[in-house]
Amino acid sequence: MTAADDDWQQAPCGLMIAAADGTIVRANLTVCRWLGYAPEELIGLKRFSELMPMGARVFLQTHWTPLLQIQGSVSEVQLDLFDKQRQRMPMMLSAIRRQRDGVVHDEIALLIATDRKAYERELRAERARAEAATADLALAQSQLSAANAALSLQHRHKDEFLATLAHELRNPLAPMLNVIETLRLRQAGQQDGGRAADILARQVAQITRLVDDLLNVSRIGQGKVSLALAPADIVPTLRHAAEEALPATTAAGQHLTVDLPASPLWVLVDQARLTQIVANLLTNASKYSPAGARIALSAAMRDHRVVIEVVDNGIGIAPDQLVLVFEKFSQLVPGLERAQGGLGIGLSLVKGLVELHGGDVTAHSDGAGTGSRFTVSLPATPAPPPVQHDQSARVAGHGALPVDVLIVDDNVDAADTLAMALDFLGYRTTTAHTARAALQVIEHARPAAAILDIGLPDMSGYQLAQAIRATPWGAGIALIAVTGWGQEANRQAADAAGFDLHFTKPVDFHEVSRGLQQVLQGRTAAGMT
Amino acid sequence: MNLAARNNVKIHGDRPGVPTMIMAHGFGCDQSMWRHLVPEFAGRYRVVVFDLVGSGNSDLQAYDHAKYDTLQGYADDLLELVDAFADGPVIFVGHSVSATIGVLASNQAPEKFAAQIMVGPSPRYIDDAPYRGGFSEEDIADLLETMEANYLGWSSTMAPAIMGAPEQPQLGQELANSFCRTDPTIAKHFARVTFLSDHRADFSRSSTRALILQCSDDLIAPLEVGQFMHRAMPGSALVIIANHGHCPHLSAPDASIAAIQAFLAA
Repeated sequence: MTAADDDWQQAPCGLMIAAADGTIVRANLTVCRWLGYAPEELIGLKRFSELMPMGARVFLQTHWTPLLQIQGSVSEVQLDLFDKQRQRMPMMLSAIRRQRDGVVHDEIALLIATDRKAYERELRAERARAEAATADLALAQSQLSAANAALSLQHRHKDEFLATLAHELRNPLAPMLNVIETLRLRQAGQQDGGRAADILARQVAQITRLVDDLLNVSRIGQGKVSLALAPADIVPTLRHAAEEALPATTAAGQHLTVDLPASPLWVLVDQARLTQIVANLLTNASKYSPAGARIALSAAMRDHRVVIEVVDNGIGIAPDQLVLVFEKFSQLVPGLERAQGGLGIGLSLVKGLVELHGGDVTAHSDGAGTGSRFTVSLPATPAPPPVQHDQSARVAGHGALPVDVLIVDDNVDAADTLAMALDFLGYRTTTAHTARAALQVIEHARPAAAILDIGLPDMSGYQLAQAIRATPWGAGIALIAVTGWGQEANRQAADAAGFDLHFTKPVDFHEVSRGLQQVLQGRTAAGMT
Repeated sequence: MNLAARNNVKIHGDRPGVPTMIMAHGFGCDQSMWRHLVPEFAGRYRVVVFDLVGSGNSDLQAYDHAKYDTLQGYADDLLELVDAFADGPVIFVGHSVSATIGVLASNQAPEKFAAQIMVGPSPRYIDDAPYRGGFSEEDIADLLETMEANYLGWSSTMAPAIMGAPEQPQLGQELANSFCRTDPTIAKHFARVTFLSDHRADFSRSSTRALILQCSDDLIAPLEVGQFMHRAMPGSALVIIANHGHCPHLSAPDASIAAIQAFLAA
């Protein structure tokens, strides 16, 4: 045996030469040992493919042989070979097709790949697991976003429900207020007869405030609140809000101080909303302070912003609660004996209203027992040029009457109580509970004014207004809309339908009377020119 | 849809007025399988060669697992190619699984096919007594396992070069195992769809003139299978070429060409 021949026989890889039809023409001792054959059992007797299981044999036909035929070589192919005992032996194979003396044959190198195959199998399993995990993750993410969508839908439904609830609670308040006001007016002359009515008035006013807060906070949540912004000096507004809060703080044994500048603070503001903001902050300060506590309201100009502060030395806010105080329906755990009450929406409402003004509100406290400071910052606006006030729009007292007024509302109590109140002020009232009845009354009685509820059974108040305006006798009538929803859209719809004025329930009939007087005076003035 | 890019279509011997011959490769390879036949026929025919979607330099992005879950997906592609690249009825040459694809297409639109030449066809690979396809289900499972173990140099880093460079065919040729490279997921799916198919009924319904080219010693399409098809298609011609293997057009090109020419001349 030559050295070269010995090298071939004992090479650290299996070596074979196969004829074009696959017949093995040479095989070294290494591969024979691995496969358990004597060389003479293979050479000239077996085809290369006969050493393989079926999968490898097909692969030989579909890939290996075409590769050798077209590109002359094939590399790194993993195939199982059978040993003599028909045990599978994973192999890594490369081959070159050569032509010697006009005869084509394939030179094949083989390596045992048992460990490599086991390792690759693990890699493949790992990859499959990773792919499954990725798929699971994608599924979990899609479920999460579906849950989020459902949650925000629920959130929206909750806001809608709260708006509806507040609206429904508000409706019965209108007739109640009317009755109370009538009672107070009737009993005003009596010695102590007004006391019960005063208590009722205060309690109903409190319910109205709560319901209004609820309605406002839910409508802010729905993005349905629009402000009537106008440049205004807020100092008188703040002073007024403090005066309103004074009875409650005094009753609680607290000291309310006010520190407001002598010069005006101009802000682009909805004054009614600002009053609400400050009233809520003062109520909050009072609620979370013990008797004897000091509450201070101040306002000042700082860096082109108007800063309003409400400071108390009450129970304070723990650091972990600070971020939560503006959340809807969050209430601090009461730190005082007396019941706190309320809906937990006051500060949420403050935040919503301040943000609608383009401002921000922050809460600060050094911790429980150290008091709190709420700071509202609003963008300042330049002072507008002074205007000449028209003094001619004089409000007529109830002496220039009687005026005939038709009240249309399908809620019989609401219609009757408003009629009762206006009767008391000296108007002559008639009521109707459907649009159809209202049109008949107007045709026959020709009242000077009509107050229309918008939600009527047979047609909307807007349609009724248009129908009235379309009659020969309806053009000059003063029309007042009363709706349950104080929305800008309602106001615009009322204007478009031909209403002169628009009020939101529960109506203050003093205001209705004042508005009515102005409209009627305008009519008279126009009629004279 | 750019069919030429999707199927890496190449046209040889484009002369006006000559009939079109369209060649479809089999499982595992691509249009380079036709290298010996193309120059022979390109004079008398307009020879259209292409890669099945998922093979060779086809657009791998077009590989829709749902569409190619049956061979009908490839038959639909073939009909689109015939409409787009052929003038009049075609002579279809299909190797192995593509012979079946041709049968599905010509059954659907016989007017578009003048003749079909089937190289090593099989209507069903798995035995179904008394039918003998040559394979058991375990054999096919073993093949799928072998496919999975052989990425043949495929890796995701190489994929863009292979998938995105139809304009640079030389790129593929520089790589080892060039034309057998493809996405292993596709290769395994194609293997499953091919070797688990049963289209015996479709071959029986075939009315297009057919030549069956059979190898004398072919593991994938044994002689019995050729005889079954010859019986199933009464008008068909069966020619057996003395050859070991499944690719007579590569290993016995002269005999293959002679048989095809004789069939077309008849």
